[in-house]
Amino acid sequence: MSITFALSSALSGLSVTSRQAEVLSSNVANASTPGYVRREVGLRSAEIAGVGQGVAVTGILRDVDRQLLAERRLAQSGDGDRGIRAGFLQRVEQAIGTPDSTGSLAARLAAFDQALVEAAGRPESQARLQGILTTARSLTDGLASASDDIQTARANADRRIAEEVGKLNASLARLEEMNGEVRSLSAAGRDISPLLDERQNLIDQISSILPVREVARDLNQIALFTGGGAMLLEGSAAVFGFSSTSTVTPEMTQALGGLSGITINGKPYDTTGTASPFLGGTLGALFTLRDDLAVSAQGKLDATARDLVERFSAAGLDPTLAPGAPGLFTDAGGAFLPGNEVGLSARLRVNPAADPEAGGALFRLRDGLGATSEGPPGNGTLLSALHGALTSTRPLGSTGFTPGVRSFAALTGDLMSDAASLRLAAEADQSFAAARLTALTDAEAENSIDTDQEMQALLVIEKNYAANARVIQTVEEMIDILIRLGA
Amino acid sequence: MNRISLGDASLTNILARQGAALRTQVQQASIEVSTGRPTDLAKTLRGDVSPVLAIDATLARLSAFKTTAADAALHAAAQQSALSGLSSLADGITATLLGSRDFPTPAQVDTVAADARGRLESAMGLLNTQASGRAVFSGTATDTVPLGTSEALLAALETAATGAITSGQVAAAVAGWFADPLGYAAFYQGDASLAPAPIAPGETADLGTTALDPAIRASLQGFAMAALLDRGILAGNPEERGRLAQRAGEELLTSEDARITLAARIGTVEGRIETARTRNAAEETALGILRSDLGSVDPYEAATRLETARAQLESLYLVTARVSRLSLVEFLR
Repeated sequence: MSITFALSSALSGLSVTSRQAEVLSSNVANASTPGYVRREVGLRSAEIAGVGQGVAVTGILRDVDRQLLAERRLAQSGDGDRGIRAGFLQRVEQAIGTPDSTGSLAARLAAFDQALVEAAGRPESQARLQGILTTARSLTDGLASASDDIQTARANADRRIAEEVGKLNASLARLEEMNGEVRSLSAAGRDISPLLDERQNLIDQISSILPVREVARDLNQIALFTGGGAMLLEGSAAVFGFSSTSTVTPEMTQALGGLSGITINGKPYDTTGTASPFLGGTLGALFTLRDDLAVSAQGKLDATARDLVERFSAAGLDPTLAPGAPGLFTDAGGAFLPGNEVGLSARLRVNPAADPEAGGALFRLRDGLGATSEGPPGNGTLLSALHGALTSTRPLGSTGFTPGVRSFAALTGDLMSDAASLRLAAEADQSFAAARLTALTDAEAENSIDTDQEMQALLVIEKNYAANARVIQTVEEMIDILIRLGA
Repeated sequence: MNRISLGDASLTNILARQGAALRTQVQQASIEVSTGRPTDLAKTLRGDVSPVLAIDATLARLSAFKTTAADAALHAAAQQSALSGLSSLADGITATLLGSRDFPTPAQVDTVAADARGRLESAMGLLNTQASGRAVFSGTATDTVPLGTSEALLAALETAATGAITSGQVAAAVAGWFADPLGYAAFYQGDASLAPAPIAPGETADLGTTALDPAIRASLQGFAMAALLDRGILAGNPEERGRLAQRAGEELLTSEDARITLAARIGTVEGRIETARTRNAAEETALGILRSDLGSVDPYEAATRLETARAQLESLYLVTARVSRLSLVEFLR
């Protein structure tokens, strides 16, 4: 009975167009939802009762460009990595100071230098001796606060690693769960698009932490690996282990103990070097910051502090000092031993013998730190010698910088130039990574909902609906004619 | 897949990003125009900030040298003026003393002796000069004046000349006391010479003249010899008193050369300090210009950049407004 078939065909057309309208409305409603992937209704021609014709929905198709997605995720990891490095190096530069900032190490040093010259010109002036003490203290404070900043950044990195590991574990566990949900829903023939959207979002989040590779498995399942090949999810999720340290001091490193490494399912993995499977995302960058960048920045600061200490404790500079006694600058009040270089910049103090607040006396700056009583007030010999010690060139005791003979000002200049050029290089890297991410994000955005296109589709749907309805109306009239014939 | 659609988010993203980038440019350029400094100095210098730091350090040091050179100049000037005071004190009495043997009356010797004693006191006062709280002839003991009172000096000399009955004996005793390490050198309350004072990078000024200088010692010896007459030495022997007065005049006359040499030496130091100050000031100016060259932006270039960015931003706003109205929804009515 072909008239009935015509009716069925038209009805299938009506139901398909309403389904299309439903999907379209969802697309329009989610035009600005992040992570929403445009859906389409898949159609095929259908057979009705073995002979009739009609249309049927094959399923809801998610319009996703896998290649682009993978590249964007990689760019996202790269951006996270470069962002953390550049952020830290900016912080180091700020901690040491830029040539424009008044509190920079170089400005503090210039003030100290100035105070020494002024005091040598008028050794009896208490105000000028006080000036030496104040500026010397400001110099040690500057080194200490830069060292503090670096160690705070390390401690923050350590804490953030713990946070990222927590996020990673939670996301992986949720992904494992979702794999199960997707399997049961797709077995039941239900629409799994929202689940797939959410799964994609979760993997995106993991991508900023680690570069990941997604591998499709049967029944809409996925497996996840890191860029370096470590397994994250294959049936069951991997569990990352990390314990954070509340206080981080310069002496603590992962190699020497005190700081945690990372484990997957209890097995330890390298966090640096080519063997590490984590490099390329925020997690790897945080480890690099904590174990490499910050350690090297601290090393340079300590080398500078060591040079300062050694300049003023050189034998023969201050005849009142016993050999081996601390000079104007001390390691936490005592003499500096070459083995204790790590963290020296934080422990640097002005010799208490010259500090009235610590029970010393200002005249020792002029008469010698070991002087027991005040000498003639106009004696500027030692003060001139101290200025000479600061400005003379000497070979570097530490290995923190390239060897060579430098004045202390030149060393400070090297320290600041080094910080500035590292920061600039990291910023250039970061802007490349950011530009790549932007380009790929733009390409993804081009694939997102185009409301104009949806409206156009809506016109077609409207027209199809009306046409199908008209077919039904016409079939009804045909049936009516048949009924009247019989009457 | 060859697409004919373009997601809405694409255009929104691009417009938002370009807007943000242009606003950053406008902000940077406007800061640079208003301050005249680059927002990122290290970037302008390509990471090597050492030259700027070296200039800043030298400028700071020059400002210290400005202070120390001014101090040194004051010190040298105080020494010089004390010395010229000493010379005029000596000049005013030398001729009178030299002619004292021909004085018609012994009373005239008494008068000139009283004058000499007054001059001794003035001379010692001059040597005790302090420049901004600093005794200038005391060496490193800048907190103590170099000499005690003239009374004490004369009393010590009288003790030294006890038993002398001729002018020659008195003169020898006086000269002996001034040369004796336990005599004048012990009377001197100061300390060793001042260390050279820094006045310019790598340059020092010698301010080491103390009251022990031979020129000062010889002048004081001349005054003191005449002043002893006022204390009544060789009393009752007008002949010898006249002779001693004459010896005193000769002493002052011969010390004149030494005083002139000393004045010339201090004058040279003063000259060096002045030259150093001029040079410091010139260097400061030159470095200041260099510093502002290194750490500044071309205002014309920055203003042009600001204007360009502003025009671009305005165009972008216009485009945003126009494009946002381009929606099929608007036309499907």
